[in-house]
Amino acid sequence: MRANVQQPHAPQDAQPILWVRDLQAHYRTSHFGVRRGVKAVDGVSFAVRRGEIYGLAGESSSGKTTLIKSIAGAIRPPLEIVGGSVEFAFLPGYGGLHRAPPVDVARIRWRHLSYIMQGSMNVLNPVRRVESAFVDFAYPHIGGSRKQFEQQVVAHLARVRLDPSVLAAFPHELSGGMRQRATLALATICRPDFIIADEPTTALDVVVQKEVLGMIRSIQRETGSSVLFVTHDMGVHAHITDRLAIMYAGRLVEEAATAEIFRNPLHPYTRHLISSLPRIGDDTPREGLGGSPPNLADPPPGCRFHPRCPLATEICKREVPAMLEADTGHRVACFAVNQGARA
Amino acid sequence: MNDLLLDISEVSKTFGRGGLLSRQKIAAVNQVSFQLAARRPEILAIIGESGSGKTTLARMILNIETPTSGKLVLDGIDLAAIRSSDARMAFMHKVQPIFQNPFESFNPLKRLDRYLFMTRRRFSRAAGEGAAETSVDDALQKVGLSLQEVRHRYPHELSGGQLQRVAIARALLAEPKLIVADEPVSMIDASLRISIVNLFKTLRDDLGISIIYVTHDLATAYYISDRIMIMQKGCVVESGDARTVLRAPQHPYTRQLREAVLLTEAADVAAGVSGMNDLTSPGAPERRA
Repeated sequence: MRANVQQPHAPQDAQPILWVRDLQAHYRTSHFGVRRGVKAVDGVSFAVRRGEIYGLAGESSSGKTTLIKSIAGAIRPPLEIVGGSVEFAFLPGYGGLHRAPPVDVARIRWRHLSYIMQGSMNVLNPVRRVESAFVDFAYPHIGGSRKQFEQQVVAHLARVRLDPSVLAAFPHELSGGMRQRATLALATICRPDFIIADEPTTALDVVVQKEVLGMIRSIQRETGSSVLFVTHDMGVHAHITDRLAIMYAGRLVEEAATAEIFRNPLHPYTRHLISSLPRIGDDTPREGLGGSPPNLADPPPGCRFHPRCPLATEICKREVPAMLEADTGHRVACFAVNQGARA
Repeated sequence: MNDLLLDISEVSKTFGRGGLLSRQKIAAVNQVSFQLAARRPEILAIIGESGSGKTTLARMILNIETPTSGKLVLDGIDLAAIRSSDARMAFMHKVQPIFQNPFESFNPLKRLDRYLFMTRRRFSRAAGEGAAETSVDDALQKVGLSLQEVRHRYPHELSGGQLQRVAIARALLAEPKLIVADEPVSMIDASLRISIVNLFKTLRDDLGISIIYVTHDLATAYYISDRIMIMQKGCVVESGDARTVLRAPQHPYTRQLREAVLLTEAADVAAGVSGMNDLTSPGAPERRA
């Protein structure tokens, strides 16, 4: 079942582990006969390869959390998967965790698919010791005697430079950085194939953040896991991800190797995003982007970026641009860019 | 009238922890002094990790927290001497807060426009319903929103970034001389963040509002602030002109912070060519090693 990953860090031609195909996830509500639909994820397709850190960047209300929820199978009303499929290499044939039988989901959860969440307090039960979290999450998957398991946990905690004494501590007794490292250890102890990291370092101090990012990187290289790394912080993406997808208003607008996105951003939104990053030592004024992110209950027709786009033409208001390959491995959904690239 | 907008001298704040027998004292802010000039509005960034006392200091300037020792004077008003509600109103007219988490700044059960009109009613001299709507709309326009979008909306209907912009618009309605912003852009959308940061500059340059910008983000601090103050464990470890401090940090802690910035300087130099497509990839060599 579990493929042996030979090359933990050679993502160029590695096989995909996750395929997301034309995924559409909408929030549908109906109050007193008034129907309202929010197209939070609208036709998103991408694949994450084995052993790579795939970044997903997007601002708030761009649908990145909905996308993760759909991938993780955490579908609860009013969220509905309207179309498309999510397929993991370790759970083939169902087209999404939400369609798979609970027995299979329980089997792969934490063993093959784990999560690092933003608020470590939400993962660790505040009234139980850290140790019990490890027992609850990982023991059923690892098995063996309790003593062996404990040794394994202690050895794993050393990787994130945590003392075994944290096991006996309650979450509130640990600092934010320690808690997040404990969560990281918890998410990686079963050596999962796929880790969903949702803003894992956003709540941390900058100094601690860099340290935790380094740990995620080194553990990921060691275990060969794939990571779907979601954050709005472009600095974090530049630091850790291999490939990067930019999401805007429920759709992907650009995807390429992270270095390529920073060196040669093509979509007008990405270009704005990259050029507006303040940097120490650079005093050039940064231009803000006019308008605001669209309301997904009533998104603009055509390309959703067109009301704010400096390059918008007539076609952008009518038709939805497809994600086309502008360069090898560099996909972008923009009429202006794709026209230029193809001409 | 006064030369100093804000005069803080040797302010300390200690919190007690523990029970009667094992009482510990924690110095959240330790002997901090600084001044803001009244004539020349400026943006002062207070930088530090969590637990460094930067928020406690900001809360003392806002008179939410009373200092254990030391004196704070804002535009001639001694904060310790504020007793009557009139004095409080006069004080609030001069200084307005923007907090980190907009979901905590607004009551989830009350409509957002209510806050805006209430602030407008309390602080603005001009009367009239139509004028109120115009000035509320003006304030919202300045932060990239409009009254149309906010009217009759509840906090949960807006995203964190939008809410924060409402909070900034609300602060602007009081026409303050000083805005204390505690991590104001950490929850704002990336595509709007720079507009908000630029807005702070506009407030300083056009409206003459001084801003105390509490943050842990060195890059935006470098971008907007005139002066910078680095705090660690309640003490100011380094302060001075933002460019001087961040280009050549002296204190080891400042250097540590400086190194933790993820978009590195080598890339910055290349990126200094401000053309949109000339941006080099920060961190790329490290990653592909």
